[in-house]
Amino acid sequence: MEIGGPEAVKVMGGMTMLFGSVAPAVAIGWVVREAMKSIGRNPECAGDIRTTMILGAGLCEAVAIYVLLIAIILSLVA
Amino acid sequence: MEIEISLAAEPLFQIGPLTFTNSMLTSILVGLALVIGSLVLYRRGWNLVPGRFQALVEMGMEFIYNLCVATAGKKIGRRIFPLVGTFFIFILMANWGGIYPGHGSITLHNFEGHEVPLFRPANSDLNTTAAMALVSILAVQVLSINVKGIGGYIKGFFEPISIVSIILAPVHLIGEFSHLLSLSLRLFGNIFAGEVVTVVMFFLVPYVVPFAFLGLEMLFGFIQAMIFTVLSISYMALATAKHD
Repeated sequence: MEIGGPEAVKVMGGMTMLFGSVAPAVAIGWVVREAMKSIGRNPECAGDIRTTMILGAGLCEAVAIYVLLIAIILSLVA
Repeated sequence: MEIEISLAAEPLFQIGPLTFTNSMLTSILVGLALVIGSLVLYRRGWNLVPGRFQALVEMGMEFIYNLCVATAGKKIGRRIFPLVGTFFIFILMANWGGIYPGHGSITLHNFEGHEVPLFRPANSDLNTTAAMALVSILAVQVLSINVKGIGGYIKGFFEPISIVSIILAPVHLIGEFSHLLSLSLRLFGNIFAGEVVTVVMFFLVPYVVPFAFLGLEMLFGFIQAMIFTVLSISYMALATAKHD
């Protein structure tokens, strides 16, 4: 395996996913934690809070999907 | 035996200069199914006291209508409800239509000589999602010009009036383009990555395990449709909000 060769690009694809999925996972954990706290504080609004939590988690997940796209392109197509 | 995953949608045949891809075929089929379904329902009429199916459809419609009106206010909400409702139903049906058996395995020998799958989820092609995101962002700009007038629209870019608002105006403009990019890439990435993972799972363990992944793809299809819709409504609501 040489530096910059075709196998190295595939390894880079894997490492992209390794470093890039840390931040979205932490962010989704924060969102859900705060949502659970608010449901505990105000159980009547649980439906509204649940919908907003799903929305926020989806937005954070989009960042992970951007990283996944780059990883797929690096390891399978390039 | 190898699996082939291609980022671009595979072409099926050519009519003149236009290349027809398999995701185009799926989009047309989904659109046709939705149009024919709604014509059939229109002919059946509706009762004042709804039956079960009509109650289901009304529940879905009320869900999106309440989202629109709660976020954007009653006047704007009623104006944008047809467009975002169509986004929601089309994206939902296109995502859920990628699950039935035989989806990736019915192949066709196309004009270039490769063997390509005949169907591919409509949103796993960047063209479809970029087109929808473009329509959404253009609708935001047109709605904003319509409500605020063109002077108010341009003033909106400098909106938090301060010393640095001259410098922040291009940043605001670039932010609009980033909305376009993020809307299209989010939907494309989710559905394409779901398709890749499903194909790999079917290749590795064909018998019981893919059920979990198909269920995951159904869930994510619904969530992504909802996120696209709610973000479109939020952009339109932000663009027409009156600053006091």
